[in-house]
Amino acid sequence: MCGIHELTEKDLQPLSYTPAYLDKIKGMRFFDPHVHMTSRTTDDYQAMADAGIVALIEPAFWLGQPRTGVDTFRDYFNSLLGWERFRASQFGIKHYCTIGLNSKEANNEKLAEAVMEILPQFIYKEGVVGVGEIGFDDQTALEEKYYRAQLELAKEAGLPVQIHTPHRDKKKGTQRSMDIAIEHGLPPHMVIVDHNNEETVKEVLDRGFWAAFTIYPFTKMGNERMVAVVKQYGSERIMVNSAADWGISDPLAVPKTAALMHESGIDLNDIHSVTYMNAVKAFAQSGQINESDFELAGNIDQSERFNGSTVLRGGQQPRINKNTTIIR
Amino acid sequence: MAEYVYDQQKMSNGLEAIIASNSSNTAREWLQQRLQKAASIPQFNQTFTAIPRFTGKNIISVTSEQAAVLQQDVPGFFVHGWTLDRLVRVWWLLQLNISTKTIYIDTVEQLFNAAEMNELAALYSALPLLAFPEAWKLRTAEGIRSNIGIVQEAIMLHNPYPAKYLDEPAWNQLVMKAIFTDKPLHRISGLDERRNIALAAILTDFAHERWAAGRKVDPMQWRLLTPFINNENLPDITRVWHSADQTEKAAAALVCAGSDYLPAQQLLASNLTLATEIQDGALTWDVIATKLSQ
Ligand SMILES: [Zn+2]
Repeated sequence: MCGIHELTEKDLQPLSYTPAYLDKIKGMRFFDPHVHMTSRTTDDYQAMADAGIVALIEPAFWLGQPRTGVDTFRDYFNSLLGWERFRASQFGIKHYCTIGLNSKEANNEKLAEAVMEILPQFIYKEGVVGVGEIGFDDQTALEEKYYRAQLELAKEAGLPVQIHTPHRDKKKGTQRSMDIAIEHGLPPHMVIVDHNNEETVKEVLDRGFWAAFTIYPFTKMGNERMVAVVKQYGSERIMVNSAADWGISDPLAVPKTAALMHESGIDLNDIHSVTYMNAVKAFAQSGQINESDFELAGNIDQSERFNGSTVLRGGQQPRINKNTTIIR
Repeated sequence: MAEYVYDQQKMSNGLEAIIASNSSNTAREWLQQRLQKAASIPQFNQTFTAIPRFTGKNIISVTSEQAAVLQQDVPGFFVHGWTLDRLVRVWWLLQLNISTKTIYIDTVEQLFNAAEMNELAALYSALPLLAFPEAWKLRTAEGIRSNIGIVQEAIMLHNPYPAKYLDEPAWNQLVMKAIFTDKPLHRISGLDERRNIALAAILTDFAHERWAAGRKVDPMQWRLLTPFINNENLPDITRVWHSADQTEKAAAALVCAGSDYLPAQQLLASNLTLATEIQDGALTWDVIATKLSQ
């Protein structure tokens, strides 16, 4: 039989070598509130767990090319609630998701209508912590129509909203996104505005919204810039994510940024806020996050784990050492 | 055409008693209130999804009297170790109207199609209780292909539906998948009853593959060969018999003890200690299962 063998606990052993930056953040716990694990490998989960990521949120996104029917949306949403959540759990990582119709695909009206019809089936599921990621890409009329419709859904369900802000004409797109959310009666504390930069952060914070930053090489933020932002604006209502997906991106962006912040002399409490606590607070407004669910996984020191703590049981074998050329 | 193949009212009451002794007043009131609306399919579905928010997910405790009621009605049906939300979801499925077969089947199928992991586990756990049991064979075979541990376990372990309804290839697929994913084989309902010669052949092939790769074979797997020991597979059992691993050797002894094939009986007779242990009931497959789970 080929295909994916179910992971067993013997696959969960720590790496036998430690990248240098991990020393700087030893014992810290991280929450990546925006990462597209569907497009990542299981090795990434392993590395994320080793770096202290205890929980993450996977926003529903597009696949890089348009989907042609509502059934593939249904299967995608199911995979966020099923296989991805299970795969993460195999590494002690708590996987949540946000569910929504992304802005790019809002432009196919016929399909968008069909997706809107199935959304209520999914947003009430366990572990769905928000409607997302929604908002503007090209800022078309159809994007606005489905953004508004989904804000209404979120309001009715009492869920936070995770907003994707556009690459082009970002400042205006961000302002419009916030204006429309207010118009639909969503209080700013229920809205997480994503992909901020130096140009947008001030207004987002001043208006009382959550400001999320994506550490994504070349196109979004670098983490040196992120350090400067936290030095300037502090840690209140700011959060860091990787938005890692099928592009050139880094699922370890959150722990790496924490290490850099630590190196740059930012206070540990502030680091904790922007790489863990603020995201928990914002999305726990869904009633779907229970910190105690991931406390156990996060509290466990890798070396302790190795010597047989409560999480791993019998049949343990050393995890594959990636530095050897021999594969068993 | 069979609707329920057991006393549905009795089962529903039996489950309700367990729910009553494991849930809060608020949860029970909410369920009562939802019952009034159960006739509407969207409301029925929404309740099914929302159950954990109102019941919580504590592991239930079941008295032996409560368990006996369920067993009398559906032999092999087992709720020990379940969380309350799973139990309530299974009970909730029994409240679905069965007067129109097509609507009933379509509703349950749609629940499967939009289910997250815990919902899937509840739905598959409910298989022995669903109406029109013949209708769920394909769905079960599909579920066996799942890669998600709790979903696989809901189908494979302590679930009497597969042994009763799956055809032989699907049943064999279930057993092989359980072996591939390190499940405790002795907890598969009907494991001995549904032993078959095709499965025995698949298993010896699989063992050869494992051995060639320098890997071990689950000793419990040999139990499935017991009625089919012949001159072709005796060398495999003999190899296991000569294993340095005592559990493996004990498994080979049990296979020989259960076999009518003379050379197998002679092999067992060559070790008086093991033969006596088996005769006295000190060595059984349950003993092996306990050793393996340690
Ligand atoms: Zn994204």
